[in-house]
Amino acid sequence: MIALENFLILSTILFSIGFFGVLSRKNAILILISVELMLAAVGINFVAFASFFDTSQLSGHIFTLFVIAIAAAEVGLALGIIIRLFRDRNSVNIDEANDLKW
Amino acid sequence: MSIGMQQSWLLTLIPLTSFLIVSLFGKKLPRQGDWIVVLSGSLCFLITLLIIGDFQSFFHGHGFEPVGNNIYNFDWINIPNYLLIEYSTFVDAITVVMLFVVSLVGLMVIIYSIGYMQGEQRYHWYFSLLAFFLAAMFTLITTGNLLQLYLAWEGVGLGSYLLIGFYWEKQSAAEAAKKAFITTRIGDVGLLIGIIMLWRVAGTFDIQTIIQLAQESTFSDGYLTTAMIFLFFGAVGKSAQFPLHVWLPDAMEGPTPVSALIHAATMVVAGVYLVSRMLPIYTLLPIAQNLILITGLITALLAATMGLLAQDIKKVLAYSTVSQLGYMFVALGVGSLTAAMFHLFTHAFFKALLFLGSGSVIHATHKQDISQLGGLKNKMPITFVTFSIGALSLAGIPPLSGFWSKDEILLYTSEFGAIFYGLLLFAALLTAIYSTRLVILTFFGTPKDQEANDHAHESPKLMSVPLLILAFFATVSGFFIFPFVGNLVGFDSGFSGIVYLDHPHDFHIELSTMLVAISVSLLGVLIGYLYWLNADGRRAENAKEWAPEVRNLLLNNYYFDNFYQAIINKFILGLASIIAWFDDQVVNRSGIDGSAQIINYIGFRLKFLQTGKIPNYVLMMALGIILFSFIMVVNY
Amino acid sequence: MFSKIPLPDQFDRLIITGGIVTASTTLFILSILLILKFLDFISYTEVFFWLISTGMIIGALASVLLKNIVHAVFSILAPLLGIVAIYLFLGSEFLALAQLLIYGGGVVILLLFALMMTNVQDQPLVEDGSQKPFSIIICILIGLILISRLLSADLNLSTVSSAELSVLAGVIFTDFLIPFLLVGLLLDIALTGALLNGKTHNVVATKRDGD
Repeated sequence: MIALENFLILSTILFSIGFFGVLSRKNAILILISVELMLAAVGINFVAFASFFDTSQLSGHIFTLFVIAIAAAEVGLALGIIIRLFRDRNSVNIDEANDLKW
Repeated sequence: MSIGMQQSWLLTLIPLTSFLIVSLFGKKLPRQGDWIVVLSGSLCFLITLLIIGDFQSFFHGHGFEPVGNNIYNFDWINIPNYLLIEYSTFVDAITVVMLFVVSLVGLMVIIYSIGYMQGEQRYHWYFSLLAFFLAAMFTLITTGNLLQLYLAWEGVGLGSYLLIGFYWEKQSAAEAAKKAFITTRIGDVGLLIGIIMLWRVAGTFDIQTIIQLAQESTFSDGYLTTAMIFLFFGAVGKSAQFPLHVWLPDAMEGPTPVSALIHAATMVVAGVYLVSRMLPIYTLLPIAQNLILITGLITALLAATMGLLAQDIKKVLAYSTVSQLGYMFVALGVGSLTAAMFHLFTHAFFKALLFLGSGSVIHATHKQDISQLGGLKNKMPITFVTFSIGALSLAGIPPLSGFWSKDEILLYTSEFGAIFYGLLLFAALLTAIYSTRLVILTFFGTPKDQEANDHAHESPKLMSVPLLILAFFATVSGFFIFPFVGNLVGFDSGFSGIVYLDHPHDFHIELSTMLVAISVSLLGVLIGYLYWLNADGRRAENAKEWAPEVRNLLLNNYYFDNFYQAIINKFILGLASIIAWFDDQVVNRSGIDGSAQIINYIGFRLKFLQTGKIPNYVLMMALGIILFSFIMVVNY
Repeated sequence: MFSKIPLPDQFDRLIITGGIVTASTTLFILSILLILKFLDFISYTEVFFWLISTGMIIGALASVLLKNIVHAVFSILAPLLGIVAIYLFLGSEFLALAQLLIYGGGVVILLLFALMMTNVQDQPLVEDGSQKPFSIIICILIGLILISRLLSADLNLSTVSSAELSVLAGVIFTDFLIPFLLVGLLLDIALTGALLNGKTHNVVATKRDGD
């Protein structure tokens, strides 16, 4: 049987990779993808802990369900914003969207 | 529910309500709402009578035994074991006397004002202020604790300020209001310090508890003396005593009925009331009591001399008020609560009468300078008669009320020391002289200003009826010293058996002092009569020749105002300019502007951290997470 | 052979390179795992787990490293679908199904739509930010910290309890009813927001001068 640590390490690796993506990418869509990756990693974490510890309440599963739902909403909105950004300045490079800096 | 001593809070509530109504909606009400104030004044007088009736039922000839029926209180702020602030009322003989004076004079003045202020602008505001003042004054005299007293003390001060400055378009009125407020405020600081000092040791504001603790020697003597002298300083400010007396003559800029109510009968005796209330403590402290005696004596003398040459009819009365208040403090200084309260009682009536009479004269002639008046005797008979009753009462001519109360003070002072007695007699002589001068220059002789004289006429009934009522009281109120008069109104003893410090005592006639007093008063009246009658002001010219220095000294009020002005100019303004420099250079330029500039500079440098690139911000976030992770790893 | 299929050029290359890379790595790992299986180090379950984990990690790395934006978006499919298998390993069929439907069916398609509506066809290659080298260190550091913390924890559990669908539904519609409804409301609002956001005629107002 596969131990809990394996799932957790997998989740951590995916999370770190996603975080790296957020840090290094300039394209807004790719940053969004990286965020999705991080959310997925967190989902693994939740479900793993829920399956191993919380046998009766299933809170982890339900949390993951909510995370999926909210992530879907987030993707919808974020893509809307990105498309609008693109229409406005013909680019989705977020380094160029810096009007609010000093 | 019957209204008795426990319901004395009504006396605060009713005028305050009418103040709110009239000040907010007065313009829209018929007659600008003056009838509301009259109504509330009448109600207050009625309640006062009911309270006196209740007081009588607990009075048994040899003392007042209320068994708690004279106290009403509820917790206002209560922090257990630390601070208890209550609203409390307390009624005893002193309160009853004050209540009668305030409510009667207040009602008379309100009625009189309807005639006097007719057609003035801000008519409703004037009446609402009268109601506000009455509310504060009733709170002041029914209070059971010192903090509430302070509140009411400031309340009457505010009312006084607003009413002195009622004609604020006039520069002099605005300045007089400021002067009155600031001068009394100097005393009020002392009062507040005294209250705090008493509270620190006693842990309560309740006056009766503090008196009891003081009698049980809870306080150290030095501490208590200091606290009580501070308290007395507040009384000095409010009652216009010697170092702080300068505001009262200027306060005559207000409407004349206000002068009668506030600056003769009620507010200025608040200091006397305070010291009377605290007299059981003062009698334990010889230093403080002697201070009261000396302050009162100096004031009585100084003010009497200043009254001799003053030209303004109201200023003469103001100086005489200051002087008579000095008398009351002398009585308190020698430890006679009875004499002080009795003089307060009679003085309130005849001085209010004098002020209202002078108001009647001013109303008729539009002149205040007595060198411009004269010959009004036949034009204004009611005013003349009532004013003369007041003046003779002030001069101390028997059987008018002033004689009995002044005699009482002189009697106790003569028992205390010959020198005080002599000086006080001299002041009585001066009082008789200037009151005679006032009457003669105003009503006798030939008119100096014929045109004003021609227009003069007797005042309307609204004004003359209060004059008559007050004249009645100025005549008879002195008889309350006799036990049989007390019996007539339901007490089985005279004034001295009702208001007393330790034990009631019967009135007794000390023939020698009484004869001396009578002869001094008559001498004064005679001097005034001979000197000023038919003099047509020439005698004043004479005075300029034979004693110019004295004349200048008196006309300039002993240069007190100049002296204070010099202190303010040289010392206080100098100090203020140093503080202003400090404020400008250190606080403002370096402190406020400087810190702002530092922040500005730092902000200019730090703004480059905000790159506008989101990955940069996330990177900072990550660094923070790593930092916290390390901290947690180290901690575990 | 490929020229007969009506596809853009880049898709040809994508399929060729992606297929070759995936097939070779998968075969390589599969062979290693099978060898391990036959030597009785691991069970079949673990063979599958490791295979899928490796695929997920490779896909994730590809999605954050690839220059071509289309390749990167396609690569994200590997971890997102791998999670379905992981959920099945963890005994949660419902979540696996939901993940498959929402991510595999919805999100990735949405992302591709977004790509289509931006200028990806003119400039498929993207360049990364200047802090890339620094970010590698940071992310390795975070990963190491987290892994070290979790390995030092005492987790002696190896029994998986499966979440039966009926039980899950019972919990959702009793204890978590209000949050569940709120999430529904949130989705509704998000839908409306996205709709409003995407409307064309509002854009004019925000258009800057000189653009």
